[in-house]
Amino acid sequence: MIHPEQHYLDIFQVDVSRMDSLVAEALRHGGDYCDLYFENTTYGNLVLRDGAVTSGGRHIDFGVGIRVLSGEKTGYAYSESTAQEDMLACARAASAIADGTSAFYEHSVPAAANGSRLVGRRFRGAPNPAADRYPVEIHWRTAESATLIPYLQKLETAIRARDSRVVKVIGAISWQVTDVLMYNSLKECKYETRPMGSFSATVIFQQGGKVENKTVSRSFRTGVEMLSDDLVTEMAEQAVKGIDERFEARRPKGGQMPVVMGAGASGILLHEAMGHAFEADFNRKGTSIFSDKMGQQVCPKGIQIIDDGTLKGNRGALNFDDEGVPAQKTYMVEDGILTSYLHDRISARHYGVSPTGNGRRESFRYAPIPRMRATYMESGDAAPADIVASVPQGIYVDEFSNGQVKIGEGDFTFFVKSGFLIENGRLTAPVKDINIIGNGPEALRDVLAVGNDLAIDPGTWTCGKEQSVPVSCGIPTVLIKNLTVGGE
Amino acid sequence: MLTEKEIALARASMDFALRNGAQKVRVTLNKSLMELFGILNGELDKVAHALDRNLQVSLWVDGRFGSFSSNRLEEEGLQAFILSGIDTVRSLEPDPARDLPAPERLVKDALTGKELGLYDDAYETLTSDRRRELALGTSVWSRKAELEKGFHLLSEEGEYSDSIFDTVVMDSNGLFARHTETSFEIGYEVTVEDGDGNRYASYWWDASPRLDAILPSLKTCCETAVQRAAAQIGPVDHPGGKCNIVVDSECASKFLSPVLSALGGFAVQQKNSFLADKAGQRVFSPHLTVVDRPWNQGESGSRLYDSEGVATQEFPIIDQGVPTRYFINTYIANKMGLDPTIEDATRPQVLPYGGCKMREDVLRKVGKGILITGFNGGNSNSSTGDFSYGIEGFAFEDGRITHPVREMLVTGNFIDLWNNLTDVADDARLCLSKLIPTLAFQNIDCNG
Repeated sequence: MIHPEQHYLDIFQVDVSRMDSLVAEALRHGGDYCDLYFENTTYGNLVLRDGAVTSGGRHIDFGVGIRVLSGEKTGYAYSESTAQEDMLACARAASAIADGTSAFYEHSVPAAANGSRLVGRRFRGAPNPAADRYPVEIHWRTAESATLIPYLQKLETAIRARDSRVVKVIGAISWQVTDVLMYNSLKECKYETRPMGSFSATVIFQQGGKVENKTVSRSFRTGVEMLSDDLVTEMAEQAVKGIDERFEARRPKGGQMPVVMGAGASGILLHEAMGHAFEADFNRKGTSIFSDKMGQQVCPKGIQIIDDGTLKGNRGALNFDDEGVPAQKTYMVEDGILTSYLHDRISARHYGVSPTGNGRRESFRYAPIPRMRATYMESGDAAPADIVASVPQGIYVDEFSNGQVKIGEGDFTFFVKSGFLIENGRLTAPVKDINIIGNGPEALRDVLAVGNDLAIDPGTWTCGKEQSVPVSCGIPTVLIKNLTVGGE
Repeated sequence: MLTEKEIALARASMDFALRNGAQKVRVTLNKSLMELFGILNGELDKVAHALDRNLQVSLWVDGRFGSFSSNRLEEEGLQAFILSGIDTVRSLEPDPARDLPAPERLVKDALTGKELGLYDDAYETLTSDRRRELALGTSVWSRKAELEKGFHLLSEEGEYSDSIFDTVVMDSNGLFARHTETSFEIGYEVTVEDGDGNRYASYWWDASPRLDAILPSLKTCCETAVQRAAAQIGPVDHPGGKCNIVVDSECASKFLSPVLSALGGFAVQQKNSFLADKAGQRVFSPHLTVVDRPWNQGESGSRLYDSEGVATQEFPIIDQGVPTRYFINTYIANKMGLDPTIEDATRPQVLPYGGCKMREDVLRKVGKGILITGFNGGNSNSSTGDFSYGIEGFAFEDGRITHPVREMLVTGNFIDLWNNLTDVADDARLCLSKLIPTLAFQNIDCNG
């Protein structure tokens, strides 16, 4: 959703000459780059609990962040007011990073020497609009609560109708709409309005004395039209699916064994265990286990790992990143070879490459850093059923919950919310509440098969690296040769 | 830090809402200022300055409830925002359980914000140059050659920050309370590499409402992080099975926090707690006593009141293995027909047991097992209490650490775990919000 430039200038009560004076003030002590990030966000939420939509609210967040770069050093300050005197005070605070010198890198990498991947370091982005990836028919800001509430009520009814063991349903609709205006010392001006709608239910089931819970969610960069009766049905069916197995599930005997990750949500393992290690700031600082692996084979041939900002309406979609760089589809691994990190402007300049549109921030309160968008592995050529059939003894995972990775070592641990034992090539007893642990680079090297069924999960994924940003993830069915499975 | 004008605006907002359709109102005004200096490999890498203000308004309108917030504090805009909020609340369904706390439960003695000694005048004397000096003085990069014994220090990333937070809350039942707190924090993350190219990362940090309390850590923080990273070099696979475990005070909250969450009234009311119907029963080891200490002077996390403005209390949360009560706010109390308590634990303290003072004393007493110094992933099931966490740490024998372990998990159920508690030391870190010393448990499943 992109309005004319004047719409954004009016929201923030600025004009180009005032923004130029802020940039000049911020660079008064030196520094070689400055950007301004104006944000006006409205959040709304409605919650159904105990059968009624009895709470809701609306929240406003407004301000401007001013960043000064001096080489790779960052000065950052923000103001919740766009009165010129308040913004000038911020510009002075951000300028403290500079020590009186100004370092320009205008033509530091000759284009002819770079090949197709390397371009001028002072990336100028693209004209506005670069794309329009946020399809909106009905706007969240103007939608009446009365039009949203029935979807929560229908969802609860549909879930309860499908399973008599449901004792509680907590439903929620939340949305946010953000007006963004970006301006920098290259005199680039970018602007857009970013929507995000989320619909979720947490369901508590009781059977005898046992209690189980399950959460389902959908989140898209679209308008109110994402809510529909079809979506209610789809979510209700997912909410009750697999609950019989959840009540029967046990912790299996632990040990080292092959692991099959089901298509879709188990892509969170790819995000955590590999994606973060590909973020260029970890590599620039030498902390990532992949920091010396560029150009090397990191997994079997035929595998592509991608971070994609171009999926229209996806939770991780962007037209521009938060530095005004157009979002793109970035191949991190091509045919098994590590070919690109995920860059913001700082790391791109450090490595002498073009930024990849991954400079993201939670809000105007944060300086941007390299972050993922929608991260997934492309489909391979194996049939999912054949992958399972090839495993004599192992674990099939269809839902992870918490995961964590140590960027330096590459070690990861993931909690299996639900899955199955694989015995003689067949899914048998359900399992739950176990951990799978391994090492990211080793797991990548040990990929034995990739299914032909890539699925991008539509859930409400939020990445929490220093700041929270919306992302999504996906994966086809994948077999990893050997991971440690915790159990009894 | 909050000005009289800002506080008057909060009061005017409450009065405006009451005049325009709300029958009850609570307003919370927050303001904070933070300065940060970041270090990368011995050089200043980042400076940040952050000033935040935020007004939260809870509205009760015709038996309905909604909550709203804005950081745009111009009076005219706020009034339009409140009117829009009142309209939104009217579109919701009625909820008779929503109410303000009874006046007799409200805090009465939080008037200046400084009653708990959480405000340090030293904050006002800090200059940018002093902050820069404090940040740079912690780096070990210039002397890394002296520290590199069998490893290379690949990266060093640190931050010094300080902040002031000031908040007032008022409601239409007569509540007025204020809390003011300064905070000074230092933290470092480092990555080291052994001779075979294997990398190990670790961190260390300290924080306090008082600047002088963290000055010793400013000198040692980065070096401690390096020592913690280097100690992980050469991990070996360790056989799994039933083990004694000792959990370092830095990370012991991983085992207590889910227990406190399970005592939360909302989890109980939503039937999502493994401690539902367990209050008043002996559920855990009689060696476990947890007391809430909300009034500890000068300790971060101390509070005179909760977010509803209800006065905190010092009381045993778990008394010799018996959970004494649930955390019940006004809403949950009305929902469940129970007496309200407090909405959450404020500064819970696990009382020492077994005679050990420090972690090393516990290791000597336990003799053999796994020392857990950190967790890596994993989760717990709030309905059943089952958990499985990845762990970082060391094997120990005869009370002495023998080697780091890798790819290990600790698995069990919280009720079983806390029934296997054998020792609680007396070395809780004051910078953490929960005062939990080094803990020892016996007969715990550790899988490698």
